[in-house]
Amino acid sequence: MSKNTVPALVCENVTMKFGGLTAVSDFNLRVPEGALYGLIGPNGAGKTTVFNIVSGVLRPSAGAIKLFGDDITGLSPDRIAYRGIARTFQNIRLFQNLTVLDNVLVGLHLRREVNLAQALLALPQHRAEEARMAQTATQLLEEVGLDDFSDYRANALPYGQQRRLEIARALATKPKVLLLDEPAAGMNPAETENLMRLITDIREEFGVTILLIEHEMKVVMGICERMTVLDHGEIIAEGTPAEIQRNERVIKAYLGGGAVVGNKGS
Amino acid sequence: MAGKSILKPILKIAAVCAALVLFFLLLWWGQEHWDAYAVRILNLCGIYIAITLGLNLCNGFTGQFSLGIAGFMAVGAYTTALLTMAPEIKQAVYFIEPLIYPLNSIQWGFFPALLMAAVVSGIVGFLVGAPAIRFRGDYLAITTLGFAEIIRVVFTNIVPITNGALGLKGIPPHTDLVWSWGFALICIAIMARLMKSSFGRALKAIRDDEIAAEAMGVNLFSHKCLAFVLSAMMAGVGGGLLGNLITTIDPNMFRFPLTFTVLMMAVLGGLGSITGTVISAVLVTVAMEALRALEEPRVIFGLALPGIPGMRMVVFSIALMIVILFFPKGFMGDREISLDRAKRFATRLCRTNTSRQG
Repeated sequence: MSKNTVPALVCENVTMKFGGLTAVSDFNLRVPEGALYGLIGPNGAGKTTVFNIVSGVLRPSAGAIKLFGDDITGLSPDRIAYRGIARTFQNIRLFQNLTVLDNVLVGLHLRREVNLAQALLALPQHRAEEARMAQTATQLLEEVGLDDFSDYRANALPYGQQRRLEIARALATKPKVLLLDEPAAGMNPAETENLMRLITDIREEFGVTILLIEHEMKVVMGICERMTVLDHGEIIAEGTPAEIQRNERVIKAYLGGGAVVGNKGS
Repeated sequence: MAGKSILKPILKIAAVCAALVLFFLLLWWGQEHWDAYAVRILNLCGIYIAITLGLNLCNGFTGQFSLGIAGFMAVGAYTTALLTMAPEIKQAVYFIEPLIYPLNSIQWGFFPALLMAAVVSGIVGFLVGAPAIRFRGDYLAITTLGFAEIIRVVFTNIVPITNGALGLKGIPPHTDLVWSWGFALICIAIMARLMKSSFGRALKAIRDDEIAAEAMGVNLFSHKCLAFVLSAMMAGVGGGLLGNLITTIDPNMFRFPLTFTVLMMAVLGGLGSITGTVISAVLVTVAMEALRALEEPRVIFGLALPGIPGMRMVVFSIALMIVILFFPKGFMGDREISLDRAKRFATRLCRTNTSRQG
């Protein structure tokens, strides 16, 4: 990939103010196509706010979001999903009373080709599309290893699998950019290991650009090529995992000022 | 193999058609030969099935708790009544202020009048729904309740069109079993098709998590509007059928208790269940009539008890509380009785029986 191709996702001077509180200030981000990019920072740094801005839940006070060069600032979440950004949520938001399969099928709804009248009259186009959707959804469930549970209610799944289902549902919208909000939160080491493999597999297979928020350092350092570190709504570092690990401001932000001194001493 | 796969759906369609024809022949015959009181209650059952399905679409399947159903029923009832009444009767009924032109000189057939009721209540549903569905939960309930009351008050006051508080009398009694159950079946079919389609799943997704649904590309406004308008149309046509069944309507019929009755049917049957709605609409309609006996004066063990008006509502409230205690999600919750389920249940029953014998 050459340097001058259009980046998949760009945030330009994005600022988000809630009344007097500036949650994110002058945030800049360039995620190249096909990248696996990390966004890290201590609690309350503004990571999820950035996700909410990119996915259209929040409208930024200033700045612009560009998807492959197109300005998508201020579009509604469903329009942004249609343009090709899908996300998962930090606190899982599945359709609890729907089956696992139906959860994924909802993700396929926005690329439907059949209109309401055709669906109500059960015309052949509708039947064909339903069959096609079911097949795609089953494939996606296989991808994340949930095909045996397709008839279960989503709330009957254990926590780790609910996170996988959220990823499958997001992939069903055929995204160009996938936003994962703390996918490893609450997972045990074995589950985390599997998840890391899943995320890298997904990128290979679907050719999707992934932006990842994560607390689990092992995950970010293990799979992300580059990352941006946020603290108190401001970017304090940007670079490869190795660069970030050596960055003093990052260490300070995560461990506090005293720790840096201690580190230097040892 | 290929022949069989084509034959099977054709057979299925033929069986369904035959069953429908038989069903309607029975209703058509029954209209003339069954007891008039029973026919009336059966008519009400059909109408309430349709209206309750409409309410369940909005409140149960889509999770938009609306309390405006009586308003949409009023719109449908008045539209149908005004279009089907004969000009001479209109002249006699509107003795305070004459009915405006062209309503005073037209008389339509029942079917076009019902279609018009669907269109008008659908439009009113959209006008009420479009701003209201931006609210959630209690706020939506209060807003829609307010709109329904506004519709009623407006109807009481536009005397040249609605005849005000006097209401309309002498509406032709067009509604019979074929009309009411025909419409009920149409509503059941629409709901079943809708819920089996991608659109139905999107509506349920909105119910479960609005934010996630929107993030997955479900347009909240258009989908909520779809539910709201369809719901209003079902209520509107149901109201039209009701007006032409009891032949007289006035604005006070469409007060909040009417919404409450329909809501009770939906909650008892299960918010989010089509079959549950059908069962409970029939049960409640029949029970409402059967419990009238409670309000009559009677002699028990030589003790003369005066009739207490409203007694059946007391019994109803108690029954409702008992049901909610034991079936917090209504009779059916959000499950359905389908042929497949019934078959599975039957085979399971047979298996346990044979295993017991063995």
